[in-house]
Amino acid sequence: MKFTSKRPHFEYLKNKWTARHKSLQNKLWDKHKISLIGGLLLLTVPNPIALPISQPIHAKDDILAGFDENAVLAKKLQDDLPKEVRSLNPDEEENLLQTLSGYFGFEVTGAIEGIKLNRNFGLIGGEQHLYRYPGDNVYAHAENTMDWAKYGSAGIASGLGAWGYFSPSKQEFTDIDKMREKYYLAIQTFLAPGFAENVAKYRDFFKYRKILVINPKTGQAVVAVVGDAGPAEWTGKHLGGSPEVMDALGLAMGPRKGPVLYFFIDDKENKISLGPK
Amino acid sequence: MNYFYTKYIVVEKLIEEFHQMDLSKDEQHHLALLVDSSLHHAILDEILSNLSGQDKKLFLKFLKDDPENEKLMDFLKDKVEGVEEKIKKAADDLVKEMHQDMKKAKEK
Repeated sequence: MKFTSKRPHFEYLKNKWTARHKSLQNKLWDKHKISLIGGLLLLTVPNPIALPISQPIHAKDDILAGFDENAVLAKKLQDDLPKEVRSLNPDEEENLLQTLSGYFGFEVTGAIEGIKLNRNFGLIGGEQHLYRYPGDNVYAHAENTMDWAKYGSAGIASGLGAWGYFSPSKQEFTDIDKMREKYYLAIQTFLAPGFAENVAKYRDFFKYRKILVINPKTGQAVVAVVGDAGPAEWTGKHLGGSPEVMDALGLAMGPRKGPVLYFFIDDKENKISLGPK
Repeated sequence: MNYFYTKYIVVEKLIEEFHQMDLSKDEQHHLALLVDSSLHHAILDEILSNLSGQDKKLFLKFLKDDPENEKLMDFLKDKVEGVEEKIKKAADDLVKEMHQDMKKAKEK
């Protein structure tokens, strides 16, 4: 009896693409005299020996990226942080700022130009992608198909971020704009002390302001920018993270929510790059 | 993972097709890995086919040290005429083939 897969479209692609992959791999190795360059090439191709495989590949290594090397930080934070997710008192905040500045090697601070966040320890929730320029779509956000597999399901928000498009047009869209959307946060700017009296000033201050976010349970950290305002107070969450931010924090799976620390970075010379730390 | 050539590769068509397919998360990851790895092999083949033995070794060392570094493209531009177009063509040809495969898969 002929075997029929429950998912023939997947089986068809898996078989066809595995065969093609093997052929490309063999061609590369045979043609370029692999004996001369040996293991060097092995280290340059993704997953060189795992394909073809019978079971789907789990790319869980990314979720745990940085876990081991940040374990010391996680231990320290767990010792210093309150057990419940609440606002920090000034002593706790000062102690944490010293720890984080020392660990990361740049100035982590609770206030810049006298402006503070409404809190620095709170619950982050996963956000959707944002439109980056007029005509943008969710497919264009993926730089490769693995990006799509990891982040595509988050979708794209129907409205624009608090500061509109990241770029006025696709033609003017730069790598800086791309990274800002990739690693953006939604911050409750409207709850920052003094916001109501200084709306225009605070709006300009918060736009793309760099923030360090840390998952205290794992020590995983990411530098991101403020790209949107939110979430609403009634959600019970205190900030939101782009799909890539949530992945960098190890919070991309399951409920896509968890407690994090978040502070400003004083980066006057704009030397600190966005992304996982 | 991104590479120095990522900005020359356009996979939007494949992603659009993926979006319309009924695939589990594991199946998505599996197929995505096959696409990215196949593209990587095809592009490496194209590049290495245009480099001398010593330059191949140098290129692979640079790639191993910092695969995202855009200076790798500067190195290649010095060695291979029209290398950007060659990379784009190698990728586009493979993307077209895979796009056709996906259309056939949808008929299954």
